[in-house]
Amino acid sequence: MKIIMLLLMILGVASPKSLTAASNNELKIGITQEFENLNPIVAQMAASTYIRRAVGRNLVDMDENGKYYPALIVKIPTLENGLARLSGEGKNRKIVAEWQIKDNAKWGDGKPVTGYDVEFTWTVALSKFVSVGERDTYHQIEKFEIDKANPKKFKTYYREAHWDFNQLLTFPVVPKHLEENIFKKFGNVNEGYAKNSLHVKDPTNPGLYNGPYKVTEVKLGSHVIIERNKYFYGEPAKIKKIIFKVIPNSGTLEANLRSGNIDMISTLGLPFDQALVFAKKVEKEKLPYKVKFKPGLLYEHIDLQLKNPILQDLNVRKALVYGLNRTELTKALFEGKQAPAIHNVAPMDVWYTDNPKDITLYPHSRRQAKKLLDSSGWKMAKDGYRWKNGKKLSLQIMTTAGNKARELVETYLQAEWKKIGVEILIKNEPGRVFFGETVRKGKYPALAMYAWISSPESTPRSTFHSKSIPTKENGYSGQNSMGWSNPKVDAAIDAIDVEFDAQKRIKLAHRILGYYTDEVPVIPLFYRSDVAVIPNKMSGHKMNGHQAPNTNHVEYWTFK
Amino acid sequence: MSAYIIRRVIQVIIMMFVLSFICYYMLSLMPGDPVDILASSNPKITTGDIERLKALYGLDKPAYVRYGNWLNSFIHGDFGYSRTYRIPVMELIGPRLFNTFILSLSSLLLSLVLGVAIGVYAGLKPGGKFDYLANLCAYAGISTPAFWLAIVLIILFSVAVPIFPAGGTITVGTNLQGFAAWLDRGKYLVLPILSLTALQAGVFVRFARSSMMEAMGYDFIRTARAKGLNRRVVVWKHAFRNALIPLLTIVALSMSNLFSGAVLTETVFAYQGVGSLIYKAIIESDFNVAMVSFLVSIFMVLIMNLIADLLYAAADPRITYD
Repeated sequence: MKIIMLLLMILGVASPKSLTAASNNELKIGITQEFENLNPIVAQMAASTYIRRAVGRNLVDMDENGKYYPALIVKIPTLENGLARLSGEGKNRKIVAEWQIKDNAKWGDGKPVTGYDVEFTWTVALSKFVSVGERDTYHQIEKFEIDKANPKKFKTYYREAHWDFNQLLTFPVVPKHLEENIFKKFGNVNEGYAKNSLHVKDPTNPGLYNGPYKVTEVKLGSHVIIERNKYFYGEPAKIKKIIFKVIPNSGTLEANLRSGNIDMISTLGLPFDQALVFAKKVEKEKLPYKVKFKPGLLYEHIDLQLKNPILQDLNVRKALVYGLNRTELTKALFEGKQAPAIHNVAPMDVWYTDNPKDITLYPHSRRQAKKLLDSSGWKMAKDGYRWKNGKKLSLQIMTTAGNKARELVETYLQAEWKKIGVEILIKNEPGRVFFGETVRKGKYPALAMYAWISSPESTPRSTFHSKSIPTKENGYSGQNSMGWSNPKVDAAIDAIDVEFDAQKRIKLAHRILGYYTDEVPVIPLFYRSDVAVIPNKMSGHKMNGHQAPNTNHVEYWTFK
Repeated sequence: MSAYIIRRVIQVIIMMFVLSFICYYMLSLMPGDPVDILASSNPKITTGDIERLKALYGLDKPAYVRYGNWLNSFIHGDFGYSRTYRIPVMELIGPRLFNTFILSLSSLLLSLVLGVAIGVYAGLKPGGKFDYLANLCAYAGISTPAFWLAIVLIILFSVAVPIFPAGGTITVGTNLQGFAAWLDRGKYLVLPILSLTALQAGVFVRFARSSMMEAMGYDFIRTARAKGLNRRVVVWKHAFRNALIPLLTIVALSMSNLFSGAVLTETVFAYQGVGSLIYKAIIESDFNVAMVSFLVSIFMVLIMNLIADLLYAAADPRITYD
């Protein structure tokens, strides 16, 4: 072997130098998900957002505690600080907000970031020829008014007075001075702007970026290299160069890390089960890495099909929750590193409550579960399952095929619910069919297990409002695939959007959670944790656990 | 011969049209289109958004109309735009086809050289020690899953004895040029080539061995030997030429995969080939990428079969095409 290695080294083929440690000169980050072109208006992949946040900042961002903070702007306008004011009454009530971009906020070519850039981004996003997924964020803004004397200052007028108006400008900004001519030339052709944007034609143009880094090399499906941007308005980035490498197979991430091909694994990398195993190896072999876990807003749950005659019985739904020990489930399968869920709001959200006065709690109790099933006429038979009128208490559970963690949970549920006499049949489908057809159209016969992502203080309109029940008429939009309809929940959701008093919003949110936990349209399982692996010597890296990627503070990452 | 070639080329063109429509139609039959999938993952998508996006992407039209539009653009040299990566298809697929071609051709050539040499030698002395060893290795190569071998190679040569990179296509951020760039590319190719070669070489060993054994049993070989011809002439000029015909079929079929990629190997080694791209394009209904990939594969299969037919005639004078 030594002879072969020597030969290879002589030929310059072997690469023992690849084991160099990460430093402030260069950091190589492994991601398993692919990215598209980095135009923030049209990009939709999580990996694109992750990379993008290191090179471009939004007006408003969210920190690791789920709190909004001004990024490109000086101050977030609120009614309290006088930068926002209401006008009109009732349904005609509107809101106007004043914004000011930081004086030193510049694009990578030294040109200032102004209100004209924000207005241009808004104009592009609203064009019918530009492929933007969800446009509500942009559509709620009626018009812009830019201070001609100081274009860093501008006002936004909103169509309706919603309490979260100041969170709408979390959208990223594109440079008008570079992109306007392209939009003028190709903006009236289907996807003309997106195809001809500098993000496609000249992605290393520094003027496209206003973050702590600028893109210096892009190879789709392979890697992105970013280097320090000297025009960044904030603290200069500590690490000179960062390389994001796509390693599509999560099974080889560890080998790539250990061989020095990458220095850290991002939150878009290791699956949870693999991270648990790797954390043990790190401890046992004293490897120079930290495996970080952070409970997030992603909430794993089971939707209950309320059209199913068995599940229409509230006692059955409650029995299923009582019969499931979620604490044991997370301990047994995830070593307690994913917190058991009691409803859809995660503990990091200010709307969270575990107060029994607000919500119904279901401590694990097989006795209570059996009692509820008995009272509904489901009697235990010799075969170990319950029967009623010649029909077995049998439910089908569906999830994404090939997802190891979910398949393990299914097996656990099958065993747990058998103890109360409920038969669980497993039928899984590829993600595309499961999400694209079965869940979207509410076609699952009984139980569907998957996850929902939300942001802090996120109104559950699309998941719990009766207007969000997917039907052919509404083009199967909305995610209330359970078919849950409660006028009181609808009213609370409608009220919460226009309630400016934070305390009153919390009360409304708790009211919704009260109905949710009492009527059990969904069985909450656990809050998923974000996982990342970083080098031991790295500091300044925080886990966010919410939809904002943690590259939003990449400038603070450093090596001792 | 030229009339035959013209006839076959026309057949290839017709087949490509027919198969391209079948592929397009099959893709459109998959449950959920890109907008449906987007809607299921974004709780804020409204009915209006869904209608707007379907109209923008042309998904509100029947499959045959969309196929017609696609074909029209294709004939005019516009291969479309990748909905997943949001760049023109040829910009995306071109470099990947090249990467796949390099990987596939290198492993094919290595497999051929090893497989044919070992197979022929084993076929000359069936039942001998070398034959047993060659068979054992061939079966091991054929039956070992490529992805498993790939992972073993990574553990051995990237982690335990770190002489080759664990994954990638080139060293990122080095801007190497000329010979240095090819050498750099070469070091990323070693492990994927070894992984692919194990399987292919095994197949070639088996084919070469059986063809050679059969050829060596023909009467004319006995006659040639009886005439006192040199053993080398008997083996290579008479026996091997006859053994080539079945081998040509398998080689031609293997050549047709040169641009199709090896999904598992490319994925495990994070190699920027076309295999993983095709898989992703199908799963995510990235029609334009999938269709170009399909057409390249179809074209390669049809054209390689034509070349194989022509080579039969060259290898065996008894075969003629009118």
